[in-house]
Amino acid sequence: MNCRSEVLEVSVEGRQVDEAMLALLHTILLHRSTGKFHYKKEGTYSIGTVGTQDVDCDFIDFTFVRVSSDELDRVIRKAVAEFKDALGSSGGDGMGQISLEFFQKKKSRWPFSDECIPWEVWTIKVNVVDLANEYERQICREKVGEKLGEKVINVVEVINRHEYLPKMPTQSEVDNVFDTSLKDVQPYLYKITYQITDSLGTSVSTTMRRLIKDTLAL
Amino acid sequence: MAHFDTEYQRLEASYSDSPPGEENLLVHVPEGAKSQWHHIENLDLFFQRVYNLHQKNGFTCMLLGEIFELVQLVFVVTFTVFLANCVDYDILFANKFVNHTDSSKVTLPDAFLPVDVCSARIRDNVLVIFILIISGVFWLHRLVKFFYNVCCYWEIRSFYTNALKMCMADLPNFTWQEVQSRIIEIQKEHQICIHKKELTELDIYHRILRFKNYMVAMVNKSLLPVRFRLPLLGDSVFYTRGLKYNFELIFFWGPGSLFENEWSLKAEYKRGGNRLDLAERLSSRILWIGVANLLLCPVVLVWQTLHAFFSYTEVIKREPGSLGARGWSLYGRCYLRHFNELDHELASRLNKGYKASSKYMNCFVSPLLAVVAKNVAFFAGSILAVLIALTIYDEDVLAVEHVLSSITLLGVCITVCRSFIPDKHMVFCPEQLLKVILAHIHYMPDHWQGNAHRYETRDEFAQLFQYKAVFILEELLSPLITPFILIFCLRRKSLEIIDFFRNFTVEVVGVGDTCSFAQMDVRQHGHPAWMSAGKTEASIYQQAEDGKTELSLMHFAITNPQWQPPRESTHFISQLKEKVHREATAGQQGTVSEAHALASTHSLQSESEPRSLIANLLAGPPSLASLHLGREASLINHLSIGMSEGASVLRSLSPLSTSVHLRHSYTTTRLPRTDHAAGPGAHAMAGSGTDAHTVSSGSSAWEGQLTSMVLSEYASTEMSIHALYMHELHKQQSHGELSRHTWHRQESDESDHDDAEAARHLPRSSTFPCTATPNQEGAALQSSSQRRYGGTTDTLCGSHQLQRTPRVPMGGWSEAPPVSRHHDPVPEEELEDKLPPQIHKVT
Repeated sequence: MNCRSEVLEVSVEGRQVDEAMLALLHTILLHRSTGKFHYKKEGTYSIGTVGTQDVDCDFIDFTFVRVSSDELDRVIRKAVAEFKDALGSSGGDGMGQISLEFFQKKKSRWPFSDECIPWEVWTIKVNVVDLANEYERQICREKVGEKLGEKVINVVEVINRHEYLPKMPTQSEVDNVFDTSLKDVQPYLYKITYQITDSLGTSVSTTMRRLIKDTLAL
Repeated sequence: MAHFDTEYQRLEASYSDSPPGEENLLVHVPEGAKSQWHHIENLDLFFQRVYNLHQKNGFTCMLLGEIFELVQLVFVVTFTVFLANCVDYDILFANKFVNHTDSSKVTLPDAFLPVDVCSARIRDNVLVIFILIISGVFWLHRLVKFFYNVCCYWEIRSFYTNALKMCMADLPNFTWQEVQSRIIEIQKEHQICIHKKELTELDIYHRILRFKNYMVAMVNKSLLPVRFRLPLLGDSVFYTRGLKYNFELIFFWGPGSLFENEWSLKAEYKRGGNRLDLAERLSSRILWIGVANLLLCPVVLVWQTLHAFFSYTEVIKREPGSLGARGWSLYGRCYLRHFNELDHELASRLNKGYKASSKYMNCFVSPLLAVVAKNVAFFAGSILAVLIALTIYDEDVLAVEHVLSSITLLGVCITVCRSFIPDKHMVFCPEQLLKVILAHIHYMPDHWQGNAHRYETRDEFAQLFQYKAVFILEELLSPLITPFILIFCLRRKSLEIIDFFRNFTVEVVGVGDTCSFAQMDVRQHGHPAWMSAGKTEASIYQQAEDGKTELSLMHFAITNPQWQPPRESTHFISQLKEKVHREATAGQQGTVSEAHALASTHSLQSESEPRSLIANLLAGPPSLASLHLGREASLINHLSIGMSEGASVLRSLSPLSTSVHLRHSYTTTRLPRTDHAAGPGAHAMAGSGTDAHTVSSGSSAWEGQLTSMVLSEYASTEMSIHALYMHELHKQQSHGELSRHTWHRQESDESDHDDAEAARHLPRSSTFPCTATPNQEGAALQSSSQRRYGGTTDTLCGSHQLQRTPRVPMGGWSEAPPVSRHHDPVPEEELEDKLPPQIHKVT
């Protein structure tokens, strides 16, 4: 696939899952969001401001920075909550992954729908561990905090590299690159998906789609 | 107080003049942003299409071709149905009379059945309905595919015109290398591939040839069940398009294949943990596909027969000799293909070898058959002559029953016989012919060397270079045999296949999973007997056979002079080139004129053909020095003097050469000054900026001056020379070890040693692409592009190491019987023992 993919692995306790996920997802999105664009005329725009705010975790010794946009926060919290539910109800060995995919839309001619072409995928693999007593929980609380700190630095390092980013769009194309639905912040188009280990592997529909595409290809 | 107030207000006033982030932070969208070619999702497919469009000479040609194919399909089906159901053959054969009132002539329309009768017959016939439905579905599928393709290729067309700035009409004028260099250029501004700033030639090749490289490697390591030992036919090869299609279906793109998508192997296949489990699954999949093949067999068989009938009958009638003609077999194409060799490169190389190959095959005639054929041809010829004479006298003879058919049959019979009668003027020189062939096909098994006159060699060569008739027959039989090969042969290999894909897949940044052989890394896959001794760290299991790694590397470096190979490879290439050069210079001392004289006399005798090369080779016994002594005449000159001399090498190799050319080159050697004068002129003509090929790794002096079209021709010559040299050296090396057994022991001592060492080295070599931490990257620029993709952290690379270390023992050479460790020279020995010594033909 013509896209970067970064993998982060964390192992946390059950109740820490959503905070850890939020911390990582928000960190990534913080760096992948800009202020709203205000176009003066086609091809010239000014960028609005983005506020940040610190979030303290309850179950982890950790504080992260996120974009101060409640709407964005709500969307992400919803996705993380779904992931956590799925993880809890799977009853398996508590492995799962959530991925944050940044993509770009490409307009196609009539018979085809718009293509969504990912350019960066962050995959966070989560391993949920069971802890026996309060003492271990305390240790885990600190450990996970440290680990998350490392990951955040990791994320920043990756983002600091001079690598491909979609070019800044003109007014008509801004929807192909940025998610303009939020009123206070404008992240790159993104998509959050998750998978629980049991259902890893391609689903039937993707296989079918591939099959059709393959037979059509020359 | 008031003082403070005023100060404060002034500040506020200035602040309100320019609100934060408005006027002073205006950003402009750059103009180039509108390109639609940035960041293409499926680069594999994209590059393949770009290549296809180039090979098919543009959009219009391709469109027309596809349309005609569709029409042809309809025609074949309807015509067959019509012939079977709507023709009254009794009338046609005049067994029944038509009651015409006006004239007694039978016309074609008389033989057609009326429409209602015809449709009734079709409706009653279940088989016909079945065939019609199947072909209808097939045709619809093709139609949909056609429209899909038109849409896709329209996009590629606009890529050519807008991004590459090549218009479709000009496309045939550009070589693929030029297109490729433009793609690499525009990557800088459009970022087609987002992983890296710059693409390399190898990246593009990898993407286009990803699966083909796997197939070549699998054939090279004899993993695919294509060779069979049959009770009557002996050693034979069965590899048809149907079988190939099934292999690809199973491995690469079919439902549940090993590949997740076009660019990545499924994660579970990369881990050695549950290989037995995976092999089990693969085996059952193969079984199902085999069964499906068996079920579909009647349909495919009918289709194949019809298709063969309509495409070949006309040809056979027109020139019956074409059945006796030969072509490179599908297996041959796979065996002879370099890693990273595109279709057109392979085709041109094999076509150059075609003439010599058919000559070689024609050298061998069975004397018994020749006698019989001569006599049969005589009798058939006399009858034919009489019939023709009678016809000329009075053409009513033709109206007599079966006269026309017997004339046709006799004609065919004579043509067939003639192919068995040896050419009177033929010279038997198989060894030289084989050398010429080798110069073009670049690969041959070791035991052919020096055994070119034997029938065994011929038979083995026939596996690569088979009769058209055999090819058609195999294709026809393929639907029947394929399921059995899948079910009984391929299934047994499933564990080896799983191991192969795990051991020989590397993930290259910006390309995805590719076959590690295709990296052409001498260190990982080199064969010590092919000049990479001391450089290679590969175990027997990891070595590519027949020097494929080394030859492929040379080939790729020569065809893509701008490619920057990784450090070890650069070293290998420059060392080899230097060696060739040095040997040539050494051979040149004092013998130039003599060799020239020899060569030119020989080439005067030969009419055309790559004979002059033979002549050159003839100049001495086929030892290394003399090989160069013979060849250096042309070689050294093109290295030292330049262009026109290069041209003479080319001429001497190309089938276009005539005897005069070598002479000509001889005279031009004498006048180097004029060459240099001609040089700048040629440069001015060719130097249109884009074609300025830089001379890479000190290859040849003339590269910089020529258009890439000419360049590619020189490249093939240069590659021929290198291939010959490498084979010669390899031969010397393996013959030079006089007592092979001591060599074996030495080698095995060493390799025992190596085992211990391998344990230390293996993690490093197997994770070679992972070695580069950012600090080392500066030193090894290339390695960064090959860095194994291991997530974001270095620790992950470490985990790769851990994962990969146990790979080699699993399914690696430790499982193979220890004997096979030295299988390289051994078969040769066996074969020599087996051969009956009396088969020896002298002319």
